[in-house]
Amino acid sequence: MPTLTAALNASASALDAHRARIEVAVSNIANAESTRGPDGQPYRRRDVVLSSAPVETFDSAFGRANAVGVQVADVVEDQTPSRTRYEPAHPDADKDGFVSLPNVDVPEEVVDMLGAARAYQANLQAVGLIQDTIKRALELGK
Amino acid sequence: MTMPIGSITTGSTGAAAGAVRSSTKDAAPGAAGAFGDSLNTLLASVDESAGSANSAVSNMMDGTGDVHQAMIALQKAETSLQLTVQVRNKLVQAYQDVMRMSI
Repeated sequence: MPTLTAALNASASALDAHRARIEVAVSNIANAESTRGPDGQPYRRRDVVLSSAPVETFDSAFGRANAVGVQVADVVEDQTPSRTRYEPAHPDADKDGFVSLPNVDVPEEVVDMLGAARAYQANLQAVGLIQDTIKRALELGK
Repeated sequence: MTMPIGSITTGSTGAAAGAVRSSTKDAAPGAAGAFGDSLNTLLASVDESAGSANSAVSNMMDGTGDVHQAMIALQKAETSLQLTVQVRNKLVQAYQDVMRMSI
């Protein structure tokens, strides 16, 4: 059971990581038209960088657990140039009448979001399977 | 008769095995103490996991934790409770087997 706990912790870390991916994709979609942020610049598309991280359990200290978790290494800003749109009446338009819009491509973000949601669900399945396995092992006692 | 009891306790807790094996003559007091110790150890671990489940749920409620973290902590608590129940069943059964033994 201890090693299954390590697997459970790895799945839990993946759930955290993919929840972060969903959050970032959702904020990209939400801010697809935000022409100004706290710094006065248009919103920049953000991306999650994931890295593998060993799960810390009593077992991993003795090298008995093989489960490797995942963690959010960084959330980086996409540095591709902003989109521009001709809209002279807009308060954020420059002197030529062009407005700088975030470098967010909504369809792409929706695909990212769905991918993250599916990854989250896949890890939920893994958690369910581990729990089912532990339950069955406990049934040996009956 | 000592062997099956010994193997049960070694498999589940380990701590009680010696005490049970050395108390074949006066099974009741020695075995009761060993059984009690094993159960206490298990109950302490149930208590601990219930406590972490509790804090995970309250974290979820005040927005600092996730639903999945709370549910996984709850599941861990339930699993450890079920393990304790199973071990208790086995211990009580073994104890009753010893008590029923005719010498």
